[in-house]
Amino acid sequence: MCDSCGCGLPGETVTFRKHGEEHQHHGAGATHTHADGTTHTHTHDHDHNHGHDRTLAIEQDILGENSLLAQRNRGYFEAKNVFTINLVSSPGSGKTTLLEKTLTDINDIACAVIEGDQQTMNDADRVAATGVPVLQINTGNGCHLDAEMIHTAYTELKLKNDSLLFIENVGNLVCPALFDLGENKRVVVISVTEGDDKPIKYPSMFDTADICVINKIDLLPYVQFDVAKCKEYALQVNHHLEFFELSATTGEGLEAWYSWLHASIKK
Amino acid sequence: MHEMSIAMSIVDIACKEAQKDGAKSISVIELDVGKLAGVMVDSLMFCYESVCKGTPAENSKLLVNEVTGMGECLKCHFEFEIDSFMALCPQCESYEVKIKQGRELKLKAVTVNE
Ligand SMILES: Nc1nc2c(ncn2[C@@H]2O[C@H](COP(=O)(O)OP(=O)(O)O)[C@@H](O)[C@H]2O)c(=O)[nH]1
Ligand SMILES: [Mg+2]
Ligand SMILES: [Zn+2]
Ligand SMILES: [Zn+2]
Ligand SMILES: [Zn+2]
Ligand SMILES: [Zn+2]
Ligand SMILES: [Zn+2]
Repeated sequence: MCDSCGCGLPGETVTFRKHGEEHQHHGAGATHTHADGTTHTHTHDHDHNHGHDRTLAIEQDILGENSLLAQRNRGYFEAKNVFTINLVSSPGSGKTTLLEKTLTDINDIACAVIEGDQQTMNDADRVAATGVPVLQINTGNGCHLDAEMIHTAYTELKLKNDSLLFIENVGNLVCPALFDLGENKRVVVISVTEGDDKPIKYPSMFDTADICVINKIDLLPYVQFDVAKCKEYALQVNHHLEFFELSATTGEGLEAWYSWLHASIKK
Repeated sequence: MHEMSIAMSIVDIACKEAQKDGAKSISVIELDVGKLAGVMVDSLMFCYESVCKGTPAENSKLLVNEVTGMGECLKCHFEFEIDSFMALCPQCESYEVKIKQGRELKLKAVTVNE
């Protein structure tokens, strides 16, 4: 269940675990292991008698359609030399603030932004104030953006050649990990007001990211956040991760981030 | 809720395949779900039942085979079972481990009837 996005279906999957206890107690679930060692879970049987059952082998990736659409997006971006960044984080880590600052400071590259939130135009309004074209996607109850939404959004935005496209995903460290949007780089933002163990609490997001931005470093003197430890955890999950430590409000550390953006678009 | 959109994709794919086969209804949908796929099986099951309503898969059973995680150490090439992304090589203690199996999210088979 997505505990970070608060999309709240009933808590069927609660696991209760005491301090120091190794194994877990599941609140629900028909998970069991058979004598041959296979483990599976199933919904309950409905016992209707069917005489003519036949089984069709499908062998199809369930997210295959999203992956195909993402590849189509990727092809489009490549043809136009649009470098696309998918920004993911918990709510409040500073994605929009980093975007506002970046868009204000980078004047020599055309930029565009796709904003994802469950509700409101607030982030799009903040970005629009910088003068950059922006499109807001409201996902309603949806906890992530998908490749099709991105396709619709960039068609609407009319991207320029040789430009940067920033996608701010829905604030949620769980679900967006599964959905390829066709981006060039996935950037996970974590702020120092969150726990330095976030990378191991939400490993799949850090596993699928290319870049990790550690934001709000201006607040380091006031919080218990061990940057070295956070990086160490993140690297345990994904040894390819590259880091930027910065403050989107004071501007500290932004030069390296800007250099990286410039280098990316030239290729 | 991504388990909801995943459940919708599953039922969608299964119904299309059943239709192609000329079947009227679906009794079982079988999946392979890796331990590192990022999907909560309990939550998927919950969504599944509601998504099936009003489709040929109504009242069908969802069977989920768990696929264990396998990693390969990039330092010493040892292969071992893993159950998280923070896999530590038991042989040389490196964290540089490539995930070889466990991210599967696959619709394996659909059982249909006339
Ligand atoms: N002190 C400090 N506050 C920040 C920084 N970046 C963002 N914030 C604040 O954090 C809050 C959430 O930022 P926002 O950009 O809306 O986060 P988002 O939900 O990830 O888009 C706002 O009040 C920002 O002013 C930073 O580098 N330092
Ligand atoms: Mg925001
Ligand atoms: Zn116990
Ligand atoms: Zn069984
Ligand atoms: Zn979700
Ligand atoms: Zn959710
Ligand atoms: Zn090793």
